[in-house]
Amino acid sequence: MRIYGTGILKSMLIAYRNMLRKPITVQYPQEKIELPERARWAVALEYDEEGQHKCTGCLACVRACPDYVLDLQMTTAEDRSKHIDHYRYEIGACMMCGLCVEACPFSAIKMSHDYELARIDPDTLTVDLLTDVPAAVPKRKTPAVEPAKATAEAPAAAPATPAAEPAEPAVPDGGADV
Amino acid sequence: MNPWLIAVLRFLAALGLMLLNGVVMIYMLRKVLGRLHIRLGPMDNGPWGMFQTVFDVLKLLTKEDPTPRAADKLLFFLAPVIVFVPSVMAYAVLPFSRTWVIVDLPYGLLFIFAVMSIIPLGILAAGWASNNKWSIIGAMRVVGSQVTYEVPMLLAALPVVMMAQSLSLSDIVAAQSGTFLWILPRWFAWNVPALVLFFIAGLIEAGQTPFDLAEAESELVAGFSTEYASMKFGLLFLAEFSNVFLFSALMVTLFFGGWQIPWVSPEFTQPIAPVVFMLKTYLGIFFIMTIRGTLPRLRVDQMLATGWKILLPAALAWVMVTGFIIKFGQMFVGPR
Repeated sequence: MRIYGTGILKSMLIAYRNMLRKPITVQYPQEKIELPERARWAVALEYDEEGQHKCTGCLACVRACPDYVLDLQMTTAEDRSKHIDHYRYEIGACMMCGLCVEACPFSAIKMSHDYELARIDPDTLTVDLLTDVPAAVPKRKTPAVEPAKATAEAPAAAPATPAAEPAEPAVPDGGADV
Repeated sequence: MNPWLIAVLRFLAALGLMLLNGVVMIYMLRKVLGRLHIRLGPMDNGPWGMFQTVFDVLKLLTKEDPTPRAADKLLFFLAPVIVFVPSVMAYAVLPFSRTWVIVDLPYGLLFIFAVMSIIPLGILAAGWASNNKWSIIGAMRVVGSQVTYEVPMLLAALPVVMMAQSLSLSDIVAAQSGTFLWILPRWFAWNVPALVLFFIAGLIEAGQTPFDLAEAESELVAGFSTEYASMKFGLLFLAEFSNVFLFSALMVTLFFGGWQIPWVSPEFTQPIAPVVFMLKTYLGIFFIMTIRGTLPRLRVDQMLATGWKILLPAALAWVMVTGFIIKFGQMFVGPR
């Protein structure tokens, strides 16, 4: 049998039980919840042991970005060394998808844990990640074997598979320049 | 002392109590609702956020006070006053102790009901003068619900009057002293149907959830007070909280023994009577606030149907039943 009003009593009981529970919220500016390790927030540069940025200016992140949030302007000098004029990041339009970080072949950028992105001045919504610096030259981890192999196979492989060529230079080219 | 001075001082005491109540109750509401939602509520200003409402009042006082161009200027200005003044007037007859009554009217209960029934007029004026769709819908809802529920509320208070044989609130409190059946406090709350009817009707009278159709935030922005700002809004808001306090105080007076502690003689309670009264009233307010945090809002038609089809006949029937019980009791047991 259903008695009229039991639902009301039940809901009131739940409400009173909730009053006895400890608050599940935190006092935000004073205390913060630790983010999970792989939380994705604003894009930031990754630095190597010497404190140098690792961006080679390959533009992979710019191409990967679905919102055109990243903007990298780069000039190549006569000796094929690259110079980054600016590398800008529009925080206001970024949706933290992480595709740029996935695309980066040198781990030059990362998804940082900086989630306090509110700005007072709208001009500061564009962050200059790098301005007017020479691009990093990627270091090979196994340099001893590679050049010999490349010279040995290159003449034979190049004519046989021309389709593979355009994809390759993006990555190893910088290393070959050393 | 000059009787005029005494009257003015008493009025100022009522006004001060009302303003203080407003500040305390808004803080309490936010804290209670916060706890119901398993969060903390305001915490920043002062210890445990205690000064939050003080700052809110200061903000209201210093804000710009715009009047909509399409509004009825005179009525727009008068409406908060019409809402606020009856609310203060009703404090006059509340018995805080045997001696702490501003005016001990012999028909105090009637006075409260008469004065409180002016409030919907002010709300209707506010809604009409605002010249705004939300406002007028909210105001019409208030009038509809108040007309519906004033009758059951009066009828639900009648059994108490019959049992106490008086309309004076002080007499009603006095009639509830002592115990019966050796252990139970002689509260009129044992007349449970009357209490329930009075409580439901009072929730609507005070415009509280589940019946807060007048300013249903999710439907009507803020109902009749949509166009109001600054302290005019403050007055409307204060009056609303004051009505909740009045309703709770009235319930304590009529059903829960007023300022008396059960099993303790009135002479002993006398020095701390106002404190006891306030504690009981705030317990009632706490209960109303938890209801506000728990139950969903009724539709207009549901509310009106409950009022006309259930509460009114039930209240009428219960007046009759109580009358019979009292008469038979007098016949067989003898007058109390």
